[in-house]
Amino acid sequence: MRRVEATAALIAGRGDALTVTTEQAIGAWRAAVPEPANEIPDHLDVVGCMGSASTIALGIALARPERKVIIVDGDGSLLMQLGSLVTIAGAAPANLFHFVFENGVYETSGSQPLPAEGRCDLTGMARAAGYAHAAQFNDAGRFAAALPELLQRHGPVFVSVRTEPEDGYLVRSSAGTKLDVQMHALRKRLVGE
Amino acid sequence: MVQAEPVALPVSAEAILQELNKLDITDVINVPDTHQRSLLAALARQSKIRLLTACTEDEAIAINAGLWMGGRRPVLSIQQVGLLAAMNNVKALCMDARIPTCMLVGYFGRDVTRTARDNASRGVHLVEPTLDAWGVAYFPIESPDDLPAVGQAYRHSVEHSGAAVVLIGAPTS
Repeated sequence: MRRVEATAALIAGRGDALTVTTEQAIGAWRAAVPEPANEIPDHLDVVGCMGSASTIALGIALARPERKVIIVDGDGSLLMQLGSLVTIAGAAPANLFHFVFENGVYETSGSQPLPAEGRCDLTGMARAAGYAHAAQFNDAGRFAAALPELLQRHGPVFVSVRTEPEDGYLVRSSAGTKLDVQMHALRKRLVGE
Repeated sequence: MVQAEPVALPVSAEAILQELNKLDITDVINVPDTHQRSLLAALARQSKIRLLTACTEDEAIAINAGLWMGGRRPVLSIQQVGLLAAMNNVKALCMDARIPTCMLVGYFGRDVTRTARDNASRGVHLVEPTLDAWGVAYFPIESPDDLPAVGQAYRHSVEHSGAAVVLIGAPTS
């Protein structure tokens, strides 16, 4: 499926969840929700610390157990800190939903293939790490149809979304909003300081 | 043969825990550190402060950022070699994103009869110069008299919106 299709399904189904995007997932989210990141309620675009978006989301999920937290990750990003699957499974946040756009390449740097692309099974790894549920989708329609049920599950939930490689772009702070501005704005919205 | 006297003395885990409680710390995110094993054991025996374990120090710094955004008061417990491994996240999250990040850092492999800078091990003697180069504030604990360093470092991280390191000179008792 195309990344934009998967993103549209997530945006339509996210409800009042806190959302975190990173790397190439930022572009598709930005195209659908064009406001500066710090003006989108309860949203964060993570750049500058590749691989850390899911554990930033973990921290938010643990701090705010009453809120669902959706992280939209990339396969290259996840591989940067693959142990985070185990860290997340160990912390076992019931409210964390970890989506990974799996396109098999490092798109930002020129679409070089990931190591062991085609043989590496991230969904199986998440399941083996101890996520409460893990699933994979190749088809946009099926993904969109399954999303409401996935988001009702007890987390942590891992969902691999197989997307086609596209033309990557150089990821910077989305819409000119730097990470510090976004993070401090999010804290202010969440705790009022 | 005369044994060299230690220049770094152990601080009790209970005393550090007391300092953490005085600061209303809510979470300790750790990547298990040999130097702080008795502190980790003390944390595991109580339930007021949540003890989280991460696989890497990069993850610990990222979890700290998320917890802080959600209104918690976390600190890290890690080893100095892990801190060196995680410098990109120190740059991205503690410095660029200005997230208060207080780290209790044990000196794995330190010869306690010498100052850290005089240790033969690069993994020990390069730590303070590295933190100096990055402009990261650090607060050594070389004896029980230095316990206020925990509070000083935590307050520094909050007031300056960034990283502050407590260098734990000898294994906690």
